Amino acid sequence: MDELDETQLKNHVDSLKQQLQFNREKTSVAIPELTKWIEEKINEDPFLNPDVLKDNPWVESSKCVII
Amino acid sequence: MGEMEQMKKEAEALKTQIEAARKAVHDTDMASAASGVAPAPRVQLKTRRNLKGHLAKIYAMHWSTDNRLMVSASQDGKLLIWDSHSGNKVNAVPLKSSWVMTCAYAPSGNLVASGGLDNMCTVYNLKTPVIKTVKELDAHTGYLSCARFLSDTEVLTASGDTTCALWDLETGKQKTVFLNHVGDCMCLSLSPDMNSFVSGACDSLAKLWDIRDGQCKQTFLGHTSDINAISFYPGGNAIITGSDDCTCKMYDLRADQELITYQDAALNSGVTSLALSMSGRLIFAGYDDFNCNIWDSLKGEKVGVLSGHDNRVSCTGVPPDGMCVCTGSWDSFLKIWN
Repeated sequence: MDELDETQLKNHVDSLKQQLQFNREKTSVAIPELTKWIEEKINEDPFLNPDVLKDNPWVESSKCVII
Repeated sequence: MGEMEQMKKEAEALKTQIEAARKAVHDTDMASAASGVAPAPRVQLKTRRNLKGHLAKIYAMHWSTDNRLMVSASQDGKLLIWDSHSGNKVNAVPLKSSWVMTCAYAPSGNLVASGGLDNMCTVYNLKTPVIKTVKELDAHTGYLSCARFLSDTEVLTASGDTTCALWDLETGKQKTVFLNHVGDCMCLSLSPDMNSFVSGACDSLAKLWDIRDGQCKQTFLGHTSDINAISFYPGGNAIITGSDDCTCKMYDLRADQELITYQDAALNSGVTSLALSMSGRLIFAGYDDFNCNIWDSLKGEKVGVLSGHDNRVSCTGVPPDGMCVCTGSWDSFLKIWN
């Protein structure tokens, strides 16, 4: 904060007052919702559901044939 | 007491109150709340493509929304557009300044941007018969560390001058300047709903901003050194940061606090970059020690490592469909893994 001039410091204080007003949610509510969102998406996540990666654009889907 | 001293005391008092408010809502921690979740399996990925073409350190890469094309930036003075499926280079954009630190692909696929020690963000049109410079966004008084397109008409930038800015591409002027960091801004990430973004800076803080009103809404503490990488969780309620203090952290936006730190006693290299898998369950974090470590975001454990680069991993990116992860390195190569 030492680098700030008077106007910047005033803005800083005003910003902190605003940030203090934020309506914080309890972690016992926020965390379960976060984990629920992730768990619901896991089935679509190619790294966690190998079925999604069956059509892998970076792997040859057909074998090589010797002619 | 002088006015300045008065205000400094007030600032400290407010910070203490904010910490108290955070403690008051901290009625459980991640370890307890996620105890019922099964751990993520060990992740072992193969290198599917080794993209050779750059002649110097790669500093940045960004996927196109088509999940196939990507842009990379190197201090050889070029942006390369790659078709990641074939491994072919689709375009090469010569840069006026080779000291590039960031690159970005517009959601439309029409434009790309770059910037760095020239303090400017240069936007190029890929769709004209010859690639043209559309605009040079010139107003930052420090290096450009990160740029992201909101659309073909708006760009967000983060700069070493400690500010972030929203630019109008038609006028080439800053519409909004985001002031609050006291250290170089190093990275930014747009929220999924595009109404806000988060920035990480050398003041060890991450900040959440409202794009339209320009205000800093929340500040996240905990890191003890520069924050080099930051990403929104796909669901939008949390962010992940990566720092020179060798750790990554998850912060919950609604509880306004740190939930978990991803660290390992054996790891003593800074985090340079990070990307999340599509569900957010896996964090791919690039480190100075040439590796990219894979973390289980809910359990805080390392579940895999991507080794193969011969120098620092400087950038990582997962395309929107989550089908792979790309790592870019100072060894001048990009690798695609899945």
